[in-house]
Amino acid sequence: MESRYLRKLIGHSYKAQSREIDLSSVPDERLIELYINERDQSAFEVIFNRYVDKVYGIALRVTRDPDQSEEILQEVFITLIRKAESFRGEAKFSTWLYRVTMNASLMHLRGEKKYENDISLDEYVPYDEKGTLMGRIKSKDWSSRPDIIIYSKEALKIIDDAVNELPESFRAVFHLRDIEGLSNEECSRILDISVPAVKSRLHRARLFLRDKLSDYFSEWSKLK
Amino acid sequence: MICKGVVENIMGYIDAELDYETLEELEKHLAECPECKSFVLTYKRMLELTGKLRERTFVTPEIRAKLKDLLRSKIDT
Repeated sequence: MESRYLRKLIGHSYKAQSREIDLSSVPDERLIELYINERDQSAFEVIFNRYVDKVYGIALRVTRDPDQSEEILQEVFITLIRKAESFRGEAKFSTWLYRVTMNASLMHLRGEKKYENDISLDEYVPYDEKGTLMGRIKSKDWSSRPDIIIYSKEALKIIDDAVNELPESFRAVFHLRDIEGLSNEECSRILDISVPAVKSRLHRARLFLRDKLSDYFSEWSKLK
Repeated sequence: MICKGVVENIMGYIDAELDYETLEELEKHLAECPECKSFVLTYKRMLELTGKLRERTFVTPEIRAKLKDLLRSKIDT
C-alpha cells in the first residue's frame, strides 16, 4: 500500500513537472510508470519517439518485409498501450519491448513460412579440414580499402543485404548484438535462449558475414 | 596454435576475454600467419561497418504520423 502510494506520488510529481521539465531525458522505466499511473500521453510519446525506429528495424530484420514490419510496429505499440502493466521492472524496459517485438515478428514470419529456405550455419567455418586458412583470406583482404568506399551508401546496402542472407535465428542475434549493440545477457532474455547459444550463433553469423563481405568487396572494389 | 584456433577464439580476442596462455599462442600465430592477420583485420572492419547500420532511420514521417493517430485513438478508448 505504501509503495503504491509512493508510486502514485512519484507519478504525480513527474506529471506536475512534465510541463516544465524535458521528458526526453527521463529514463524509460520512469516514463512507463508515468504512463501506467497517470495515462500521461506526453510520457508515452517520448517512449514512442525513442523506440519507433528500433522496433521497426527489428521487425524488418526478422521478416525482411516492409509491409509486415509496419503491421508489427502497430501491434507492438498497441500492446504497449494495453499491456504496459505487464512490464514489472524485472528487466530493462527496452528488453521487454524488444521481446514483444521479436515475438510479434516471429509470429508473422512463421505465418509466412519464409524461414523454410534458410541455410544452416551451425557448422559454418572458414578454414579447411586441416584447420588452416591457407589461400582463403589474404587474397580477398579488403581491410585497407579507403573509408570513403567502405562507408559509402552502396557499401552499407551490401552489408545490409548480407545480414539479410543469414538464417532467421542467426539474423536476430546478429541484429540485436552487433547492430543494436545489446549485451549477450539482453539478447538471451529477448530471444529466450541461453547466453552460450547467443555467443555461438553470433560467432557463426560473424564468420559467415566476414566471408560474404570479402566476396562482395574483393569483386566490387576492383570496379571502383 | 593453428588457424582454426584463431578463428574459434576470435570473439574472446576482440572482447579481451582470453586467458593469458591462449592470448600468447594466438598472437604468436598471428605474427607468423598472413592469412590470420587478414582474417582479424577484416573481421574487425566488418564489425565497424555493421555498427554503422545502427544509425539508420526507417520510419517515414507519414508512417509515424499515421501510427500516432492510431495510437492516440487507442489511448482515448
